[in-house]
Amino acid sequence: MITSDVKAKLVGEAAIIYPGPYLNQLRGERIERCCREILLDGVRNLVINFEETELVNSIGISLLLGVIDAVDESDGKVVLANLNTSTRELFDVLGILSKVEVAGSEEAALSAMAASNASAPDPKLKAGLL
Amino acid sequence: MKLTPRKMLHTLGALADLGVEISSTHDFDDLMNTSLHTLLGSLAIRKGAIAVYNARPRQLKIVAAKGPAALAGVCIRLTKDEADRLTAMDGAFQEGGEPGGLLSFAERSRALLSQLPAHVTIPMVARGDLMGVIFTSGKFSGEPFDSEETALIEMITRHVGVGVYNHRLLASVRRKAMENRRLYRDLRETYQSTVKAFAAAIDLKDAYTKGHSDRVARYSEAIAKEMGVTGSDLEHISVAAYLHDIGKITVDRAIINNPRPLTEREFKELNTHVLTGYEILSSISRPWNKIAYMTKCHHERVDGSGYPQGLRGEQIPLGARIVTVADSFDAMMTDRPYRSRLPLERALAEVGKNVGTQFDPAVVRAFCRLLLRELNGEAPRVLTSTSGRGYDHEEVCAALASMAAGPEGVEPLAGSRPN
Repeated sequence: MITSDVKAKLVGEAAIIYPGPYLNQLRGERIERCCREILLDGVRNLVINFEETELVNSIGISLLLGVIDAVDESDGKVVLANLNTSTRELFDVLGILSKVEVAGSEEAALSAMAASNASAPDPKLKAGLL
Repeated sequence: MKLTPRKMLHTLGALADLGVEISSTHDFDDLMNTSLHTLLGSLAIRKGAIAVYNARPRQLKIVAAKGPAALAGVCIRLTKDEADRLTAMDGAFQEGGEPGGLLSFAERSRALLSQLPAHVTIPMVARGDLMGVIFTSGKFSGEPFDSEETALIEMITRHVGVGVYNHRLLASVRRKAMENRRLYRDLRETYQSTVKAFAAAIDLKDAYTKGHSDRVARYSEAIAKEMGVTGSDLEHISVAAYLHDIGKITVDRAIINNPRPLTEREFKELNTHVLTGYEILSSISRPWNKIAYMTKCHHERVDGSGYPQGLRGEQIPLGARIVTVADSFDAMMTDRPYRSRLPLERALAEVGKNVGTQFDPAVVRAFCRLLLRELNGEAPRVLTSTSGRGYDHEEVCAALASMAAGPEGVEPLAGSRPN
């Protein structure tokens, strides 16, 4: 699945997005658009796979936070996967890792997502609909 | 949060990106959005907005917002005292802090920006003027801003303030440049109207030459265009053609209107008109500094037998060589006190006969090409405005086609040769 020029795919109930080599304004805006389309399609679980990502600038950070907030507002979950040392360190010093789960691989991220969904209360129950 | 090398690199990168944005010519909205994201991303701040200040009416208007997008366009009115205090303020004020006499402003903005939990409010000031205010929420991590982070927010805000200042300055310069262009255009139109009025005054001296200057100008402009002349060169030729006979205002009317052959003394007086015209027009340095010399040379001949200097070939300015052809053609095609107008065939034969002696062959070729197109209905009527219909179309067109291709026996213009 490629949405808004951003490489992405669906695995089970989760969408996996690949930001590409440089998460800057252009890529960030495309990823933001892609995530909104995915959320509109009803997908609530998002893995952002940084395996190809070498650099993230401040605009990229801001747009990434926007994506995380949008998923959060939809009662979804975001897991960041395959962060390289530099990006991991940056996310850490900016306090992002204290709020978002990180996985070493895409498979680990999907497993974490599945485990989290299994233990989480049914959203409808949470909303008092059942 | 410690200021680690990684964080410093990220911060420096943000400042560098911001510098590039501010010095770019991006659209103002793009600049503000990018600046906001740069600020928020440099410290992982969740939400924020940039409001730009306008003095009339005195208000802040949100031009970029992240998080609550609906905030864009929201306005916050300011009192003069609040605007002055924000301008004089040195740095940010945080929620719960002492806003330095801006309590009412803080409460009003909080109410208006209820979707944006504004933790920090930072006035943007550039060169002593209030440019606006930046509002930010807290950090994504939920930790409070430390003093270094607050200093960074203030530094980035100053940069954005400079961006707003530069944008306003550029907009003002553009407005002034447009106004200057309009004034310059008006001025040139005024000059051109004056030139036309002068030309009409010159022609009124002689009932026979009414409209002559106007026609010579139109012919000259058309021929010059045909030769590829454009821009200010074309304008100079047009104006020189309008004013080519301005020196005649000092020549006795009886000489100009004399139906008999002129005496030597009368010829001498008539021929002074090119020098008189040069004297009159020499005082014009702008915008048409070349026209005086062009008018002086419009009775020069390419073979060097003209007056007043006996110049040859390209020693004569192109404009003058064009006006010479246009002037002679119009003289032949209109009634004069000493003869009736010539039929088109005769006039063309005269032109052809004098190519290379009186007329520049290149100018004549352009003249013939243009005239041929007019006669064939392929160009608007300019040169044919006085030709009437009393001529053999096929014969004239054949002659013109031959002349346009290069008149037989006519050498190309020899250029500057000594007399």
